[in-house]
Amino acid sequence: MDRMGFHFTPVGGGSALLEPMAGLDIAQAERLIEEIIRRIQEGKICRLYYDLSNFPVIDQGYFTWLNRLAGACKATNTRMICVNMQPTAAFALASLANITPQFETALGLEESGKD
Amino acid sequence: MAQQHPAVKLTNLLKPQVGSIAAEIEREGQTLFGGSNNLLSGEEIQDFSVEFLNLLVSLLSSKDPYDDSSPTFHALEIFFHSLSRQIMERGGRVEDLVRYTQFLHRLFSETINDDAKMTVKDARELLLFLSGVFNELTLAIFRAYLEEKEKTIFAQESELREVATPITEIWDGVLTLPIIGTLDSNRTMLVMESLLNRIARDRSRAVVMDLTGVKNIDSQVSHHLIQMVRAVQLMGSDAILTGIRPEIARALTSLNIDLGDVTTRASLSDGLKEAFRRMNIHVSTHSA
Repeated sequence: MDRMGFHFTPVGGGSALLEPMAGLDIAQAERLIEEIIRRIQEGKICRLYYDLSNFPVIDQGYFTWLNRLAGACKATNTRMICVNMQPTAAFALASLANITPQFETALGLEESGKD
Repeated sequence: MAQQHPAVKLTNLLKPQVGSIAAEIEREGQTLFGGSNNLLSGEEIQDFSVEFLNLLVSLLSSKDPYDDSSPTFHALEIFFHSLSRQIMERGGRVEDLVRYTQFLHRLFSETINDDAKMTVKDARELLLFLSGVFNELTLAIFRAYLEEKEKTIFAQESELREVATPITEIWDGVLTLPIIGTLDSNRTMLVMESLLNRIARDRSRAVVMDLTGVKNIDSQVSHHLIQMVRAVQLMGSDAILTGIRPEIARALTSLNIDLGDVTTRASLSDGLKEAFRRMNIHVSTHSA
């Protein structure tokens, strides 16, 4: 496991998969964003897939983190696509008032279309 | 000579009459649950009559027959509870079970009354004891009745849920959800839960929600609708709203509901065409 609490794997075609682990500390958002963007730029990544399969619930705090990361990706001309969102997480997130996701969503890597 | 416990006296009283008491219990069981009622077979009635008497004698012979938390008392309660469930599952009525319990109560009370050697004090104590036992047995019947009713209500609710959310996969990866009637909070939760689980299960790329059956809309319903669309989009699927009637469209504008981010189409067929277009599916007529 990466010491920053996530796995960052280039998957070809200018895409990379980011798999957050239990050790990912979103309180360190600044440091994490810098590290992720550094890897994006090193790998010449234009599409970042953020895997949410291990998150049964996404609260306001985690949503803010996702939005901040998506904003940073946008600033470096990278699309951030959240994949494998669990029904319970979508349900909880949709119930939050005034959410405007900065990221795209897709069912999974295969279904994302890579357009 | 040591004073005999009234319960022991009752046991002694019942022992010589076990055969005739069992026959009476069986006869009444036959009348209420056997024959044309067809709830229990003759063999089953015979078995439960004997088992009931055995359990009652075990209770009377136990260390403290008055203790309603003792294992022997509990065994009698469980026996009655299972018997009641068995009869009700086969279509029996709770009234008949209560009548049967009243009959048993009366039978044992009469046995006590008919005994010439029984003192008034012992008879009174035993009658009170029997009242306590049969009250608990009646409660066991009602517990079984409530469980049976709850089971039915649960089954009906689950059936209603199925009917209320007819989610159909109309094409590989395309789901349709016709919404009929009113969308309140509870129903939205149910529909949303089923829909999102179905999207995850079938990996559906598009959901067409048809509102043709929605007669009116208020701010709460529109909020639920937007919430549902948002959840579908968060899962990574496309949500397409179809069949918005003129009065619903007017209501949405007066409620200041912004459908800017939502794909809408006039009819269900237009919605399906849009879903197919997004999935690069071309449907054409084949000319020979």
